[in-house]
Amino acid sequence: MKLWSPFSGGQAKIGRLAPRKPSLAGLTIGVLDNSKPNAGALLHRVAELLAARTGAAGVRGWSKPSAARPAEILDDIAKGADVVLTGSAD
Amino acid sequence: MLGTDAFLSLARATSAKHGLPHMPVALVPHPLGGIPTDTARAKADAILDEVLRGLTSDPTPPATTAAARPTLVEAPEDLDAFQLWAMEQEWSDGLPVLPPTEARVAKILGRRAGEELASTLMPLDGRATLHAIAVNAALAGAGPEHLPVIIAAVRAVATPQFNLNAIQCTTHPCSPLVIVNGPIAARLGVAGGPNALGNGHRANAVIGRALRLVLQNVGGARPGREDRATLGHPGKFTYCLAENEAQSPWEPLHVERGFAREDSTVTVCGSEPPHNVNDHGSTTGETLMAALAGTAATTGSNNIYLAGDPLVILGPEHAQTLASSGWSKQDFQSRFWDAARVPMAKFSADNIARFKLTHPERFENAGPDTLLPFASKPEDVMVIVAGGPGKHSAIVPTFGATRSVTERIEA
Repeated sequence: MKLWSPFSGGQAKIGRLAPRKPSLAGLTIGVLDNSKPNAGALLHRVAELLAARTGAAGVRGWSKPSAARPAEILDDIAKGADVVLTGSAD
Repeated sequence: MLGTDAFLSLARATSAKHGLPHMPVALVPHPLGGIPTDTARAKADAILDEVLRGLTSDPTPPATTAAARPTLVEAPEDLDAFQLWAMEQEWSDGLPVLPPTEARVAKILGRRAGEELASTLMPLDGRATLHAIAVNAALAGAGPEHLPVIIAAVRAVATPQFNLNAIQCTTHPCSPLVIVNGPIAARLGVAGGPNALGNGHRANAVIGRALRLVLQNVGGARPGREDRATLGHPGKFTYCLAENEAQSPWEPLHVERGFAREDSTVTVCGSEPPHNVNDHGSTTGETLMAALAGTAATTGSNNIYLAGDPLVILGPEHAQTLASSGWSKQDFQSRFWDAARVPMAKFSADNIARFKLTHPERFENAGPDTLLPFASKPEDVMVIVAGGPGKHSAIVPTFGATRSVTERIEA
């Protein structure tokens, strides 16, 4: 029998990611902590190790108050860091 | 983006929703929460190369895909074979579904324009057209008479304050509870009396189920994938009731929210299952409050630390006891808000430290004797009357970071 599919996906527009940097030397690594337990601990540790390995200028941190809400500080982060790490998990 | 391996599907859905399915994701073994901080930090070494690669080499974007259009597909005629097929296609919630044939969908849709968009639904940004809603209503076993309620509910859950993306993807056990008010409830047989949240009522069953199937199939929250519920709850099959307006001593929910009594509305809440309140002894509002507040004020509740607008469903006999003490609905809200509190000392030191970090405005100055309320203010405590004879009520906590939404049902 012929049936209507119950799916109705959104229009899949593929966006462009920010161009990657050839190297992190001299750059500021940003961290956006989503406030999930230990997210900040892991993200900052990764950023510190990366900075030590690549000669990045430093690490700057931001956090959003709840993982259940979108961040409202993205423009601020974009101005203050060259690359950014963030997270999604428990 | 960094994540844990158990949550990869959610990370992918989130990046795809923003049009960036090719965003680099580096994974550590689950979990990150509930482990010592040093153990979490130690997971960094293993992903360092991958993170560096993600920051320094451009990933290839996938090809653009066209927007979905209504699609007819060939399915097995045999009903048992069809059920297995529907599960394989991920159309179903696990219970048997009815085939959405062209004729059945056309009958449910009636003279409505199928291409009309009711809302877009997270996490997939799915297009909830009236046609797509009707197809899922057909799967759920609904009839044309139920469609206006289902459409209103689909609009309501997409309102920003409902925070649908979080409701659909959280580990917390929540799902939209659909409360029907106004004359349409009696017309369709949406039960608000005995066993209103239980079995035996077709309208409750199919309206709640159709909304769930829309959320799964159009919203794209597939169980165990984008829908990350740790345990989930039985209301994720269907979760719908009417307010028992005839037996309420107070004005019904929709009138409280500015609608006329003869208007029909749906209200959706991002709700946990009901937590029962058994009180066969109390004969006054004052004494009944101990059981109601005691059931609400628990340390495991999202509402204690995230606030929101949790619901109290009063059985008609309990509501009568409260009203007989001379209390208005507002009196009840105010007294319940005062009483339903958890002392800070009941939480573990680990949790208190976390609350102070994530919600400083509520917890920074709180000491062990501070009493934490179930909502930010009395009027945030939602109250309806439902159920049949008996001395039971229910507390229905919510996800917390969500607000209920009331929408008019356009017949």
